[in-house]
Amino acid sequence: MNTLLVSPSPHLHTKTSTASLMRDVVIALLPAVLVSVLFYGWSELLVLGVSVASCVLLEYLITKFLLKAPCTVGDWSAVITGILLALNLPASTPWWVVFVGAVVAIGVAKMTFGGLGQNLFNPAIAGRVFLLISFPTYMTDWTRTKGFISSSLDAFSGATPLGLVKEGGVAATESMDYLNMLFLNIGGSAGELSAIALTLGFIYLLVRRVIKPWITLSILGTVAVFSAICWGINPEQFTDPVFNLLTGGVLLGSMFMATDYVTSPMSNLGGVIFGVGIGLLTMLIRYFGAYPEGMSFAILIMNSTVPLINKFCHGKKYGR
Amino acid sequence: MKTTFSIGGIHPNDSKISKDCKIEVLPLPEVVYVSMAQHLGAPATPVVKPGDTVKTGQVIAEPAGFISAFVHSPVTGTVKSVGPRKDLAGNNVTHVEISVEPDQWAEGIDTSDTLVVEIPQDNKFILDRIKACGVVGLGGATFPTHVKLCPPPGKKADCLILNGAECEPYLTSDYRIMLERSKEIIVGAAIMKQVLGGCRTVIGIEENKPEAIKVMSESLAELQKTAKGFDGIQVMSLKKKYPQGGEKQLIDAVMKRQVKSMGLPIDVGAVVQNVATSLAVYEAVQKNKPLITNVMTITGDCLPMERQHNYLFRIGMPLSYIAQVAGGVPESAAKIVSGGPMMGKAISNMDACTVKGSSSLLYFTDEQTRRKEASACIRCGKCADACPMGLEPFLLNKYARNGMMEELEENAIQDCIECGCCLYSCPANIPLLDVIRIAKGDVIRIIRGRAAAAKK
Repeated sequence: MNTLLVSPSPHLHTKTSTASLMRDVVIALLPAVLVSVLFYGWSELLVLGVSVASCVLLEYLITKFLLKAPCTVGDWSAVITGILLALNLPASTPWWVVFVGAVVAIGVAKMTFGGLGQNLFNPAIAGRVFLLISFPTYMTDWTRTKGFISSSLDAFSGATPLGLVKEGGVAATESMDYLNMLFLNIGGSAGELSAIALTLGFIYLLVRRVIKPWITLSILGTVAVFSAICWGINPEQFTDPVFNLLTGGVLLGSMFMATDYVTSPMSNLGGVIFGVGIGLLTMLIRYFGAYPEGMSFAILIMNSTVPLINKFCHGKKYGR
Repeated sequence: MKTTFSIGGIHPNDSKISKDCKIEVLPLPEVVYVSMAQHLGAPATPVVKPGDTVKTGQVIAEPAGFISAFVHSPVTGTVKSVGPRKDLAGNNVTHVEISVEPDQWAEGIDTSDTLVVEIPQDNKFILDRIKACGVVGLGGATFPTHVKLCPPPGKKADCLILNGAECEPYLTSDYRIMLERSKEIIVGAAIMKQVLGGCRTVIGIEENKPEAIKVMSESLAELQKTAKGFDGIQVMSLKKKYPQGGEKQLIDAVMKRQVKSMGLPIDVGAVVQNVATSLAVYEAVQKNKPLITNVMTITGDCLPMERQHNYLFRIGMPLSYIAQVAGGVPESAAKIVSGGPMMGKAISNMDACTVKGSSSLLYFTDEQTRRKEASACIRCGKCADACPMGLEPFLLNKYARNGMMEELEENAIQDCIECGCCLYSCPANIPLLDVIRIAKGDVIRIIRGRAAAAKK
């Protein structure tokens, strides 16, 4: 007989692993990636390629030479950061700007804190916000790049829907077709393109039980309710709920960025508080702030409250 | 909505491979070694010495305290030695070694198969029989049954729950006895119900065992029609979820009540007994037959179908002997587990012998069971979602590694039931329960020490 293994119970283990969870997130992002590549073409592929490759490479180099720790790129989390960062940038972003974003995302926001599981801020958003503040011209110049399939938007260039509203007021929304926006937005970050593609991925994550819906639903609910109230009071000054849900990365942010395990609260109640906070901050920035779009800032700000939320929100304990 | 417990739980593959294997009686070995620590509480004191001849069912050890139990000879033969021997974890325990001769049962034991349905009305008689026959809980904890059936003064049982959940994957012994010995189990339940003052009685069975639910329901209906004392007993189908068979979880599922931290089931009016215990109660009270047999499952994915078994074993049989009768240990087995895969013990010593609570020999391959290297916590919260006590294992793990005893107690580490859901669920393979189990012991010692100091 062979030597027997002896260990404490339990003796079986789930097949779900960190890598399989992260791989599921990558799979869930594929529809959005596909749509953005189809409509933004080679330039989008370049942004995606540079972003993913630099995120993975940076994590590899940092673990190997700086931390001298076991390499963690096998867990796919750097790939997710790469894809999310790319989806948060215009397809026209120069490759070196993308690279700087990756350095901030992986090098600063993730690895400085100790790598996966330790970071306070969502790496991709930290990267995006850094670029937004440092290179505003590149980040707000949504020059339409040539896609692999042509669409009515081909000639489009200029500001995003939210940018148009910031400059031209609510009247600017009159020229926008919401049904069209559901499938294909009229400009913005690659990842804001298609609500349908993002939602497909989100449903996949729910079905695979990778994430729970509470954070996303509370963000979307808060955005909808808050904008409905403001719009109801003064439709001349405030944009309507549908517009606010479909634009400016609310879907991408609420489904894929705010739900990041590491930077969101552990309990369901905490998740709802976190989500409501993001929704409110997003709308406050949009309606009253200097930036046309508030999702990234809202997530970053709420990221910083997570340790506090975790301290006070716990699930229901048995018999207590 | 099917009935189940309200917090946490997991859904591992139930792997009831041996569910269709009928119970077979194991042949007797040449020698048996009967452990004196077959129950929770103080080990029993041997009352035989080398050279004594014993009959099957004769007392060979007496309880050594309030929480302790009688032990009976499982065979007829001659006592060869009384001394230390290693149990399955490798700890030394006093064993009585008996060389086996053909069976001759001690006087007064009814060994026939005749079903005795009439329920004695004298509670003292029932409890004495249960105690004298050494009946202990067979659901895992092996707590002396007569103690559990005597609620402390001022406490009353509102509900007797018979645990037929068998929520541990792979195990099929409870399932088999529910199919093959349903009436005896139900009579046992009626006896315990009588002792507890005729409270409501629920037989909880998970829905992945539809045949057991059917057979138990039919037998119950028949007994209710033909005999007295079976009213107020019902079979309840439970949703499949581990750890449904956990005492606290089953009470929550069936009664919608939760036992307070550090409290006992009787505090909320609940008494939980396993179906196998109920069978032992039947045999003790109706047949005067001491607890010297039980059913165990021999299974594993690496065993061919014809080598899967459910055996009626006697206590004191070496595990190696049973494995050999069952066709040997499979080549690919890397770990052998006694008890369920979630809460059972890995066997380090196949020379250990069966005890009253033995329930299985599970064979796992290296690939199935070897722990994978732990990686960083990704704060996914899956451990907290899985914990049936509503604890936060990720947090307890962090506190335990930093020796933060006050924070551990505040976060209820003492409530952990060691079901293994957290470690099972962790995608980063962090040994949550290993860490929590040790820290829980320390915290409970602190709590007890404080209580003792307060008394003085």
